[in-house]
Amino acid sequence: MSVSELKERHAVATETVNNLRDRLRQRRIQLLDTDVAKYSLAQGRSPVKFGATDLVCCRTLLGHTGKVYSLDWTPERNRIVSASQDGRLIVWNALTSQKTHAIKLPCAWVMTCAFSPNGQTVACGGLDSVCSIFSLSSTADKDGTVPVSRILSGHRGYVSCCQYVPNEDTHLITSSGDQTCVLWDVTTGLKTSVFGGEFQSGHTADVLSVSISGSNPNWFVSGSCDTTACLWDTRAASRAVRTFHGHQGDVNTVKFFPDGYRFGTGSDDGTCRLYDLRTGHQLQVYQAHGDGGGKLPVTSIAFSASGRLLFAGYANNSTCYVWDTLLGEVVLDLGELQDSHKNRISCLGMSADGSALCTGSWDSNLKIWAFGGHRRVT
Amino acid sequence: MASTSGSVGAEVTGETCSSLAKSSLPPPRPKSPPEYPDLYGKRREAARVQMLEREIGYLEGEIKFIEGVQPASRCCKEVSDFVVANSDPLIPAQRKSRRHCRFWKWLCSCVPCLSLASFCCCCQSECSCHLRKPKCCNCTGCNCAGSKCCDGSCCSNICCCPKPSCPSCSCFRGCCCWCPDLSCCIPTCFRSCSRPSCLNKKSSCCSCNCKIRWSSCFKCPKVRLCCCFCNCKNLCSNPYCLAF
Repeated sequence: MSVSELKERHAVATETVNNLRDRLRQRRIQLLDTDVAKYSLAQGRSPVKFGATDLVCCRTLLGHTGKVYSLDWTPERNRIVSASQDGRLIVWNALTSQKTHAIKLPCAWVMTCAFSPNGQTVACGGLDSVCSIFSLSSTADKDGTVPVSRILSGHRGYVSCCQYVPNEDTHLITSSGDQTCVLWDVTTGLKTSVFGGEFQSGHTADVLSVSISGSNPNWFVSGSCDTTACLWDTRAASRAVRTFHGHQGDVNTVKFFPDGYRFGTGSDDGTCRLYDLRTGHQLQVYQAHGDGGGKLPVTSIAFSASGRLLFAGYANNSTCYVWDTLLGEVVLDLGELQDSHKNRISCLGMSADGSALCTGSWDSNLKIWAFGGHRRVT
Repeated sequence: MASTSGSVGAEVTGETCSSLAKSSLPPPRPKSPPEYPDLYGKRREAARVQMLEREIGYLEGEIKFIEGVQPASRCCKEVSDFVVANSDPLIPAQRKSRRHCRFWKWLCSCVPCLSLASFCCCCQSECSCHLRKPKCCNCTGCNCAGSKCCDGSCCSNICCCPKPSCPSCSCFRGCCCWCPDLSCCIPTCFRSCSRPSCLNKKSSCCSCNCKIRWSSCFKCPKVRLCCCFCNCKNLCSNPYCLAF
């Protein structure tokens, strides 16, 4: 077949793809008979109301000397690892605020960090395009340098996010500026699967975030600069199971809803959205009003244990809205509370038991928030 | 003879014959290279077409799938039912079950010198989480000289590194781990040096001098313009513009 015939086929195929996508979009619109907020209002759900001291900053973790970019909790034992522009990972005891480890990184430009399920290793990645694994039982020298246990190399762009597969210390998933996600075998340092890429169906721009389902670790979602989120099945890497449209800007962050069948996203278009995995429906849009018409980029999100609250950090000084996910309303702004951050909140993480939220900020601190109100217990 | 005047002048220089020869010959025209088939471009185009045709198959499958999909209202009901059925430690509401509180109370009572009060208190009536510091006052574990660490708040982060110089600074190890004197805890000059390739060379790192140029040296994350102030070979030297 000649090049000109190929180009003609290309044009015809492109038009067919566009028509099909349009048909799919129209059909989805027809199936969106309501959203979560309208449904909950119709059900007569009561709004969540916070008193002035219901959610308080219990701890401020001091120690980083640069912007905090990422944090992760252990599944148990209440420890946190954080990554900062100062080129260090710090491991904190969240209850006592003490640092247990401060790891100086070979590459200072770190963007993400994660705890292994057993809490014995931490992973990080960034502009060096590799994911480095450190064992917390290794001894640091006086500079704080801990030898790297394993380097996962193979990405052709920066590593934007990494997460261990739940209950598997030997596998983790990374997302990258090279438009792919990769499932790694940490033991061998090799790629198990590559999701997306130049000639596979997947993202068409930098991938910025991943989240793995806690109830089905074969599933994970990714968010990308191509304005979409994708659902992947690690057992079938050749193409995304489903692509979720709707956002009009980079999807900076994705997180699974606690039930494992929905997930939330946060985007440069200023909105957070809730999607249903199995149907592909966009169930709710959370858009703040004011502040530039609700166009402040969302940097990070986290769900509370029941999913009733969605915490969302925005790209301005310290704003962190707490959304009532059922009624679609902002019920609190952590940035307005006493002892709040002094700069942008760049990362959020909920503890495994849902009793505490950790926020990391460009003011170089981390803060832990917990319920500080009175409860009448029946 | 129109050309005579030109040739008369040229006779004097003795270049008449060569200039006559030059004017009668066509200008040199280098040969264009033969047209080789653009195999790489053809294969690439074929791959793109293949991808599009695969995408068509995938979209047709999605359209068939969506015909049998439940409407959004059913999903909304599932979300609502899940939220209502699950307790949430962060929500100010009456709680019927105290199982979660019982665990924290047990933990508080069983773990000496490690007060979880700030997390536990939420389970008791009429208490506040307001920042009661833990009772951990066993300062023998503090890796600091003097009593500064153990002034009743030994589990805080007040700097306990000896000042002004701290060659044996135990920052980032042991109990007290934060020094206001940054040079104490960071012997390398990575803060002043913006050239990442210098990081491993302590002495030369502090003398490296990045020249700023408006050129992108690699694919920088998101905010590409300001991120690529570098003439470094591999890495972007200005992560401050990371837009998240």
